[in-house]
Amino acid sequence: MAPRAIVVGGGAGGIGAAGAYKGAQPDGEVIVFTEFEDAAYSPCGIPYVHGKEIPSFEALFLATKEAYVEQGIDIRYETRVTALDLKAGTVAIEGQGDLGYDRLVVATGFDYADPGVPGTDLEGLYYVKNIRRAMEWDKVLDTVKVAVVVEATPLGLEMVTALAHRGIETHVIDHRPWALSDLADPDIAQPVEDSWTEMGVKMHYGVTLEAFVGEGRIRAVRTSAGEIPADLAVICTKKVPNTVLGTAAGLETGPTGGFVVDSRMRTSAEGVFACGDCVEVPLGVGNLPVQGLSGSHAYAQGKVAGINAGGGNREYQPVYVPWGMVAGLWMIGGVAYGETVARALGIPHVMGVAQGISRARYFPGVKTLKVKLLAEPGTLRLIGAQMVGQEGIKERADFLAMAVKTGITAEDLAYMENVYSPPIGALNEPMALAAQNLLANA
Amino acid sequence: MMRFARWLRQNSEHYLLIAAQRDVAARYGHPCPRPREGFKGRFFLNLFAPVYRGLPWRFRAFVLHSMPGSHRQSWTPRARRPLGPAV
Repeated sequence: MAPRAIVVGGGAGGIGAAGAYKGAQPDGEVIVFTEFEDAAYSPCGIPYVHGKEIPSFEALFLATKEAYVEQGIDIRYETRVTALDLKAGTVAIEGQGDLGYDRLVVATGFDYADPGVPGTDLEGLYYVKNIRRAMEWDKVLDTVKVAVVVEATPLGLEMVTALAHRGIETHVIDHRPWALSDLADPDIAQPVEDSWTEMGVKMHYGVTLEAFVGEGRIRAVRTSAGEIPADLAVICTKKVPNTVLGTAAGLETGPTGGFVVDSRMRTSAEGVFACGDCVEVPLGVGNLPVQGLSGSHAYAQGKVAGINAGGGNREYQPVYVPWGMVAGLWMIGGVAYGETVARALGIPHVMGVAQGISRARYFPGVKTLKVKLLAEPGTLRLIGAQMVGQEGIKERADFLAMAVKTGITAEDLAYMENVYSPPIGALNEPMALAAQNLLANA
Repeated sequence: MMRFARWLRQNSEHYLLIAAQRDVAARYGHPCPRPREGFKGRFFLNLFAPVYRGLPWRFRAFVLHSMPGSHRQSWTPRARRPLGPAV
């Protein structure tokens, strides 16, 4: 009898795991359970449809439902798993009884942290996650005059930009002191905030959310600095791992709240794997567990989990977390540690900052680009970077992630070769300039 | 042990970030508005953060690595290929 794998969760991790399992076990049976109407779409694209930069939600789907059927992946939509029995090797399915498995992959994703204030039951609170709900909310947005985005997290930055781009009066509230301040440094966030001001965004930092106010439907958001009248609140609180099912079944969780896994994405239970936003993995520099990464991390972890569940042997590596996004009129990004987080952890570091340009100085469309590099004192191996510019951020973040991973030093980077071609690269590479300044500070 | 580790991680991460945000904001002359802190916040900001910062990095790193979690599981470093160009 063909071995059966059950995957709980139909996001990037779950679908990655199902496809990889099928690749490793072509004759095996794989069943994916998702409580939603769809699987395998890009929720990360939702803010850009709201902002009218992507014309339709249809573009966000990765494959049709028929394509999964043809691949032999049995996706049970709108089907809720209510319990896992790891000893019996079964999952309980709402209204359908128990179903046995040979291998189990838990990919239950994340929830937004509960704002923990009165009024969360009001209509008009939008949690950006499910594409069908996003389609409905997109129609609502046509009627919204004033929106409040709760917390300037990565999703918060994207939603603020999208709503302002759509012409909605947009406020952002956060108890933190600047946009994305748990990740980005203030000098990196400053151009974003300046551009938001130009776009008419009203920022309220250092304020506490106290309540959502209204009668049945939201009318205002109450903060420690007063009430903001609003038709809509977009909840962009921190992503917390959804481990309810696994924890109840006895799977071990770590200090971040995510499932403890090893490099093969094995959990604390034999034959049970986990991946995506519900797990924690080590950061490669500093060796601390981290959780709530990107869709690309979830998908890659799912692949590893699926291959190993199918009898293969694939290892996931510690992460270095290159990141980047468009916020306001700028792109920001980085890798591993910025100045604020390094300071918070007390990691000794030397820093170098430089402002360069993205193309030849005379080429139309040339943009400024600021690079900040952090390195370990003594060896000068890179430990992190942050950048703000208007083009070329993603590529540099990916490159710098490899630089941190492979132990490249500021000295290596200071004298690197670089592409010089007027439309795409300047004579002096901004990363090299920052590294030269770092050497001067070392 | 795990419950304590999670509590410590959540609170230390939160308040050490606040302390760092204040320092870094001051360095750049950037505003750093924060809500008023309760007893727990004052404890972590006025006692925990200065003590943590006063410890040598090697000791802090040892404590951080000693906490339970995924980083204590088996993570095989990828074998380093010979350095330098291929041919």
